[in-house]
Amino acid sequence: MKWVRWKGLIAFVAVLIIVTGVWFFVVDSAIEAVIEKTGTSMVGAKVELGGVDLSISPLGLSLTGLQVTNPDEPMTNAVQVDRIALSLEGARLLLRKVIVKEMTLEGVRLNTPRNKSGAIRRPSAATPAPQKKTADKKFALPSLEAPDAKEILKKEKLQSLDQITALQADLKTEKDQWRKRLADLPDKDKLAAYNKRIKKLKSAKKGGLKGILSGAKEISAIRKELRKDLDRIETARKELKKDLSSFRRRIDEVTKVPQSDIQRLKEKYALSPQGLTNVSRLVLGEKISTWADTALGWYERLRPVLERAKEQEKAHEVVKPVRGNGVNVRFKEHEPLPDFLIRITRVSMEMPAGSMKGRITNITPDQDILGVPLAYDFSGKNLKRLRSVKLDGVLDHVDQSGPKDTAHFEVKGYQIADFNMCDSPELPMVLKKATADFKADAALAGEALKANLWAGLRSVKISTGIKKDAGPLAKAMASSISDMNALNIKAAISGTLADYDIDLSSDLDRVLKDAVGKQAKAQAARFEKELKAAISEKVSGPLAELKASHGGLHAVGSELAGRLDLGSELLKGMEKKGPAGLKLPGILPKFQ
Amino acid sequence: MLRTIADLLRILNSGTEPGRISLAFCFAMVAGLTPLFSLHNLVVLLLVLLLRVNLSTFILGLGFFSGIAYLLDPLFHRVGLAVLTAGALEGLWTALYNMALLRLEKFNNSIVMGSLFFSLLIFAPLYLIANQMILRYRQHVLAWVQKSRIMQAFKASRLYRLYSTYSEFEGAK
Repeated sequence: MKWVRWKGLIAFVAVLIIVTGVWFFVVDSAIEAVIEKTGTSMVGAKVELGGVDLSISPLGLSLTGLQVTNPDEPMTNAVQVDRIALSLEGARLLLRKVIVKEMTLEGVRLNTPRNKSGAIRRPSAATPAPQKKTADKKFALPSLEAPDAKEILKKEKLQSLDQITALQADLKTEKDQWRKRLADLPDKDKLAAYNKRIKKLKSAKKGGLKGILSGAKEISAIRKELRKDLDRIETARKELKKDLSSFRRRIDEVTKVPQSDIQRLKEKYALSPQGLTNVSRLVLGEKISTWADTALGWYERLRPVLERAKEQEKAHEVVKPVRGNGVNVRFKEHEPLPDFLIRITRVSMEMPAGSMKGRITNITPDQDILGVPLAYDFSGKNLKRLRSVKLDGVLDHVDQSGPKDTAHFEVKGYQIADFNMCDSPELPMVLKKATADFKADAALAGEALKANLWAGLRSVKISTGIKKDAGPLAKAMASSISDMNALNIKAAISGTLADYDIDLSSDLDRVLKDAVGKQAKAQAARFEKELKAAISEKVSGPLAELKASHGGLHAVGSELAGRLDLGSELLKGMEKKGPAGLKLPGILPKFQ
Repeated sequence: MLRTIADLLRILNSGTEPGRISLAFCFAMVAGLTPLFSLHNLVVLLLVLLLRVNLSTFILGLGFFSGIAYLLDPLFHRVGLAVLTAGALEGLWTALYNMALLRLEKFNNSIVMGSLFFSLLIFAPLYLIANQMILRYRQHVLAWVQKSRIMQAFKASRLYRLYSTYSEFEGAK
């Protein structure tokens, strides 16, 4: 027993007792610190707890005074919870599984004020909120001033000019090619040489039968050569004819392009009743876009709760531990369970309008192991200024390669009062009162986002509050809007989380279209006339040049025709009589 | 730094049995290289307190190995991952994975497994080498060190007197 120190066993037990004692003293603070640190890092703003109490039997945790700062408004809590009670499955903890049987959230309140700013110094690691693509313009009354056509033409590219320039280049190339070809073809000098050879034969004094036969043979050879040359010229003339007609057709087409330029620019710049249909987006788009950004921003922040990175290493799944180094390799479990799971969460929300109750099931970052998606369901009835509200949906990340999240939101009988619709100084709009029903369905499949929102407002009273010196258009619009007693709004959001588009329409479009339709038509007609004149001025010169250039190609045709005529005359002469008065076989009809 | 060297010299120069110093050093290596708050380190602590190993060496060694463990973490991760994903051992790991006690040990973490595997692998060789080195030191260098100024100064210090009292309590001699 020389090597054994029995006092050491007592020391070991003492150390264990001290460590356990200290653990009991500090565990609450440690849990509080971990929750605050992890929450702050996830949200990107301070997450604070009033207190933590860990109970051993039954195993549970109680958190009080949870405050989650809104990262966009550091003096406001996005969520404040009076008490959170968790009951844990103790046996699972030995397997390093945090399984919460039930979590109860009492006194949940949204958007409560803070005493101290909840902003954190360092930029958060949280994913930034997606950037809205649309509805980034402030509402402004459409101008009835016709835009300056000449100014527009300075910055706009005319398709007609481009096409004329391209066609001119083609014509030039074609002309060059034909010039080269003309040089290769038998010219007038060569044809005159045939004439000389014939005359020489005629003047040759070769008597007798032998002389006549020899003259006939030579004349036949000349005729064959001439015929071959004339064939080449004729082929070229036919090809030129084809080219000419092709260019003619292209020139005709180009002549029509200025009209399409006029139409395009008119649609772009002229105020048309159709162009006024985007007024809903201008008035309401910014607000809807901000709401969508906020919702998607929170979704991005909460995403790590739904799934975490998993990799494969030699057919074994490895996961990055929530804290610490290395990776955890997973092996087959007899009873597969996620590392963290809240089986059921009951929420009791306190809002100014009254209370709402909700339930969330299966919160875990390992849905693929559990095999069941997260589902949520919140509802409230007979609230203040609100008949009913319902929010439910599923966050399905069971198949992490293709997650599918859905949300359905429905509000009935919401009494709206003094809602600022548009703060444009030109046409401020305040919804003084209305009773509204809302419905929204959203689905996110992978990165593809699709959402439809519908709002039906009844007993509407909109105040426009325009200035006394406002223009006739503003007055007409204000009058139409004030007369509205119902307003239906539809919005469709599509795209991805990072880049989505909002398509918005409402009764405002129709009202505005009716109000300014006539003025818009007159303005469009004036603008079209000016645009026509300006484009014609710009295009007429190049178009005339193009036509002249086409005429230049005709000159090649004339040259070819001249050579053919000359050659044909020669053949005709040879046809009439041979050098010794013999009749030669006729070949002329082909070139006549 | 000087104090650490003096501590080390003091231990080596004492009459403590080399095996007790080496074993303490090896236990410190296991506890220092592996994540400190692991279940197996509770066993190491029990052994350190129960067996007559030199506690000062253990504490000094623990500081030393904890320091270098961070540098070796990438190596431990690779070793651990290779061991845990070895096809031949899959049955064994699966069985251990389903045992609550071993799950608490967190053996399936690449760094825990890598560092534990590495430290257990070199435990025995390190023990033998350390033993030999202490013996040779005492044979060849001890006399010179005893006469050195640093050792003379240390022996005259209050710390040494304290240590002497502690050594008697520890019963290491």
